[in-house]
Amino acid sequence: MLTRRKFLGLTAAASAAAAVPGCSSVLPEPDVQAAGFGQDATGTVQVWCRAATQTGLTDLVKKFNASQDRLTVELTPVLDAQYVTKLATAIRGRSVPDLVDIDDINSMLFIYRDAFTDLTEPLQSLDFRDKLSPGHLRLATKDDRAFGVPYLADNSMFWFNTELCDRAEVDPDEAIKSFDNLIDAARKLRKLGDDIYAWSFPANSPGALGFVVQPMIWAADTDLIKGPVGAQSGDIVGNDVVQQMLELHRQLWVDGLVPRANFSDDASRWGSDFRAGKIGIFPSNYAVVVSSSDEAFQKKVAPKLLSGPNGGAAFFDGGDNMCIPRGAQNASGAWEFVRFALDLPQQIDLPAGGYTPVRSDAATPEFAKKFPLATLPLERISEGYAPTTLSYNLLYNQPDGPWLQMFRRAVFDGELEAAMTEAQSNFDRILAQGQA
Amino acid sequence: MKLKNILYVVGGGGAFLVFAIPLLWALFRSIQPNDVIVAAPDRSTFFQLTWDNFRTLIEGPGNLMRAVGNSLVVAVSTAVLTAVLATFAGYGFARFRFRSGPLLFALVVVSMMIPFQAILTPLYLEMNVLRLTDSLLGLVLFYTTVNLPFGVFVMRNSFSSVPVELEDSAHVDGCGTLRMIGSVLRPLVTPGAATVALYAFLAAWTEFLGALTFLTKDELYTLPVALVNVQAGAYGEVNFGSLVAGSVIAMIPCIVLYVGLQRFYVTGLATGAVKG
Amino acid sequence: MSTRTEAKPRVEPSARPRAVGRRGSLTHPARTGLLLVTPAVLFVAVFVLVPLGFALVISLTNWPLIGTVEFSGVKNYTAIVSDAAFAKSVLYTLLYTVIVTGPILVLGYALAVLVRRKRRGATLLRTMFFLPFVVGLSTLSFVTVLEAQPDSGAINIVLRSLGITDGTTAWLVDGPLATGLICVLVIWGVSGLTMMLLMAGMQAIPREFYESSELDGAGWWRQEWEITIPVLRPTIAMSVIISVVGSLLAFTQFYILTRGGPGTDTTTVVQYIYNRAFVQLQLGAATALSIVLVVVVGLVTAAQFWLLREKD
Repeated sequence: MLTRRKFLGLTAAASAAAAVPGCSSVLPEPDVQAAGFGQDATGTVQVWCRAATQTGLTDLVKKFNASQDRLTVELTPVLDAQYVTKLATAIRGRSVPDLVDIDDINSMLFIYRDAFTDLTEPLQSLDFRDKLSPGHLRLATKDDRAFGVPYLADNSMFWFNTELCDRAEVDPDEAIKSFDNLIDAARKLRKLGDDIYAWSFPANSPGALGFVVQPMIWAADTDLIKGPVGAQSGDIVGNDVVQQMLELHRQLWVDGLVPRANFSDDASRWGSDFRAGKIGIFPSNYAVVVSSSDEAFQKKVAPKLLSGPNGGAAFFDGGDNMCIPRGAQNASGAWEFVRFALDLPQQIDLPAGGYTPVRSDAATPEFAKKFPLATLPLERISEGYAPTTLSYNLLYNQPDGPWLQMFRRAVFDGELEAAMTEAQSNFDRILAQGQA
Repeated sequence: MKLKNILYVVGGGGAFLVFAIPLLWALFRSIQPNDVIVAAPDRSTFFQLTWDNFRTLIEGPGNLMRAVGNSLVVAVSTAVLTAVLATFAGYGFARFRFRSGPLLFALVVVSMMIPFQAILTPLYLEMNVLRLTDSLLGLVLFYTTVNLPFGVFVMRNSFSSVPVELEDSAHVDGCGTLRMIGSVLRPLVTPGAATVALYAFLAAWTEFLGALTFLTKDELYTLPVALVNVQAGAYGEVNFGSLVAGSVIAMIPCIVLYVGLQRFYVTGLATGAVKG
Repeated sequence: MSTRTEAKPRVEPSARPRAVGRRGSLTHPARTGLLLVTPAVLFVAVFVLVPLGFALVISLTNWPLIGTVEFSGVKNYTAIVSDAAFAKSVLYTLLYTVIVTGPILVLGYALAVLVRRKRRGATLLRTMFFLPFVVGLSTLSFVTVLEAQPDSGAINIVLRSLGITDGTTAWLVDGPLATGLICVLVIWGVSGLTMMLLMAGMQAIPREFYESSELDGAGWWRQEWEITIPVLRPTIAMSVIISVVGSLLAFTQFYILTRGGPGTDTTTVVQYIYNRAFVQLQLGAATALSIVLVVVVGLVTAAQFWLLREKD
C-alpha cells in the first residue's frame, strides 16, 4: 500500500542514492606502464565514436577486427549533440567504454576533471611521436602530460576556384597576404558575372562558421579567449584583430560580394554553390570541397592556409582525439586499437573518407599522388590550432551562443562595437560558469 | 434552409481543402527527386516523379527502416501495455472499494498534471540507474506511464457505466476476476480500451522529446529522432527528400489506424470527456 | 487491510444507488481491487512521483557534469529571479499561448458546428479535420521545415505566384516570422482535437433545449449563443485548459523548426530548461526551473478551473 510514509521513504532512498556517487567521482586509472600494455591483449574493446565521423570509424573497426583474432572491437556511434552528456553520465554511473573517439575540442572538458587516463608513457614509445599534429595533442595535454592522442583531422582552408581566379586575374597567393588584398580579389571576382560571387560563408551555422573564420584571427597570433584553462576570459573588446575580421565580413556582405542566401545558410548544403562553380573564394574543408565533387572540378581548386589581417597562416585543427577513460576494463586492448589507427596505412587512407591524417609523415609521394589536395595541412602541420577550453561547445557551437550572436550582429546589423561588448560579457560569463 | 446548405457545402468543402491539401502535398513532395525539392521550382522538372527518396530511406545511411521498426515495436508495446494496465486499474477503481482507493486514484490523476518535460532530467538519471536508458523497453515503460493517467480515467468511466447486475450474475455463476474482465465485461469496455490503445499508440509513435533524451544508441532510434538526425545532417548533407519520405512513412500508420478504428476513437473520446 | 472489517459507508462521487456500502464485498473483494490497480499505480510512482521527489533533491544541489555533487541550498531558486534568459522564454511562451488559444477554440468550434449533424459527408469531413492531429505535431513539423525553405519551399512558391513576396523569405531564421508560421501550423494541426471534444458535447445536448427558442423564431446565432455555448461550458472549459497546458509546455515543433533560434528568439520554457540540462549541463539549475514550471502550470490550470467553473 503506497502510504505517504512509503512515498517519503522512496524519496529519501532516492536522495541517498543520489548522494552516494558524489563520494568519489574519480575512477581508478588503468596501469599503462604495466608490462605488455598494448600488446597481446584479448577480449572485447568497447569504443564510442561520434556520429559525424562514424563511417571512418566503422571501416577502421572492420579492418582491425579482420587483421587479428585476439581482440574484437565493438563500436557504438553516439550523436554529437549527446556525446558529452552520455559520456559524463557513464562516468558517473561508473560504467565507461574502453576507448572514446571524441571531438578534439571536447577533450579538455573531461581531462580537466581527471576522467581520462594519462597516456604520456605509451605515447613516448611511439616512434612517430613528434610527427603527430601538435594542435590536436595540445587539446589533450594538461601540465605537460598527454591524456589522449590525435586520430583524424578535419582542417579548414581557403579553397580558390582557380578557373574563376584566372578569369578575374586574381592571384591566390597575393590575395591571402592581407585582408585588403582579399577584398580587392573579392571585388574582381564579383565582376565576373551576376551569378558569380566572390565568397561564401554559412552565417547561420555557428560551428561551421567558427571552423572557417576563427583561423583568420589565429593567423595574427591572437584568439577570442585568453588565459590558461581554468582561468579563462574573453579577449574581444580591445582586440583589433577580432574587429578587423568582423569588418572584413561586414564589407563582404554590404558590398554584395557574398550570396544573399548566406544570411540563413545553416551549412546543411554547405558547398553546393562552390561546387556549382559560382564562388571564387570558399573557406571550408576537404570533405565539402573534394570528397563531394568530381575529378573535373577538383582540377580547378587550390587550397591555401587561412590568413589574417596582415598575412600569417593558420587553420582549424578539428577532428577526433582518442582517449582511454579512467575505469576502462580493457585499456590494453584499447591502446592496441589506437596504435592500429595511427599506423601509416590507416592514416594514409583517411582522405578517402574526407578526413586528413594526423601524422605529417603520412605525406608520402604515393599519398601526394593519390590525394594531392590533402597535402597542405600535413606540410604545415604545426600551424594547425584549436582553442583549449572547457566551454568550446557553449561558446562556438550553439545557435544561441555568443560567437554566432556577435558575428551576425556585427556583419548583418552593422553594430560592431555593441556586438563585441555583448560577446565579451557573454564569453566571460560562460567561461566562468564552466570553470566553477 | 437553402442558405444553410450552401454554407455547409462551401464551408465544409473549403475547410476540407485547407486540411487535405497540405497532407496531399507532402505525399507529392515525397515522390519528387531531392534535387527538385531543394531548388527553386522549375516547370520542366517539377513533375518528374521518382521513388528514389524511399529507396534512399531503405538503403541509405541512417538506417531509417530500422528506426521505423523500432517505432513500431515501441508504439505497439506501449498501446498494449497501457490498455491492459489501464483496464485493470480502471476496473479496480470503478468497482472495488478499498481503503487506499481514493488516494491512489487521486495520485494517478494528479500525475496527469505533472508534465513529463519538467521531470525529464531526474527521470533520465533514474532510468540510467535502472539501466533503462538506451533501451526500447525503458522507452515503452516511460510511454506507458505517460499515457496511463488518461487511460485509467477513460477505463474507469467505461466500467462505471456497466450495470452492476451483469457482474453479480456472472459471479453467481462462479466467474473469477480475470474472466469477468476478459469475457463478461469485454464487449462493453472494448471501445474504451481500444481508444486508450489507439491514443497510446499515436502518442508513442510521434513522441519526440523522450526518445531524444533516453536513446543515445544509433540502432535504437525511433522514427522522429532519426528524422531529426536527417534534418540536422548528422548523416552528411541534409537530404530533404529523405526527410519528407520519412515523414510520409510516419504518417501512414497513424492515418490507417485512425481511419480504420474510427468508431472506437470517437466514442471513446466522448465517453471520457463528456461523462468525466 | 482486511476484507472483512465493517467500515462506515464511504460516499463516492459516482456512487450508484446500489453502491457497496462496506469495504469490499463478495463480488468485489477489496484485495482484488488493490491488486488490479497496483501495476498502474506502481508505474506512476516509479516514473513520475519518484523523479519528482528526486528533482526536488537535485534542485538543492550543484550537480556538475563530472565531479562531486555539492549541496547548495536554495541557490538555484534564487538565481532564477535574475535569470534574464529564463524570463525571456517565459514571456515568449506566454505570448505564444495567448496567440494560439483563441483561434484554436474558435476554429475547433466552427469545425464542430460543421460536422455535428448527420449530414451527407459529415463523417468524411470529421475524419479529414482530425487527421492532422492524428498525424502528430512532430511529423507535421518535419514537413513544414521543408516547405518553409526560401525559394524552394511550398509556402514561398505560393506567395511568389500570388505576387505577395518574391519567394525568398527565410521563415525559420526570423523570430516573428517563425513564430507566426508555428502558430499557424499549431492552430491548423490541433484544432481537430477541440473539434472532437466540442462535437461530442454538442451531440449530447437534447433537442428539447432548442424547442422553445425555435418556437420564438430565434435564428442560428442566437441559439448558439444562448443555448449551446452555456450548456457546453464545461466542455469548452476542458478544451481550453488542455490547449493552454499544451501551449505552455510546447517543445517539439519549436525544436524541430527553429531549435529555439535565431539566438533565443523562439525559445520556449521547456526548450530553455532542456538546454540548461542537456547542453549547458547544469542539472541543479535545470531541475529547479522544472519544479517552478510544474508549480506554475499547476497554478494556471487551477486558475482556469476556477475562472471557467459553473457559475450557477
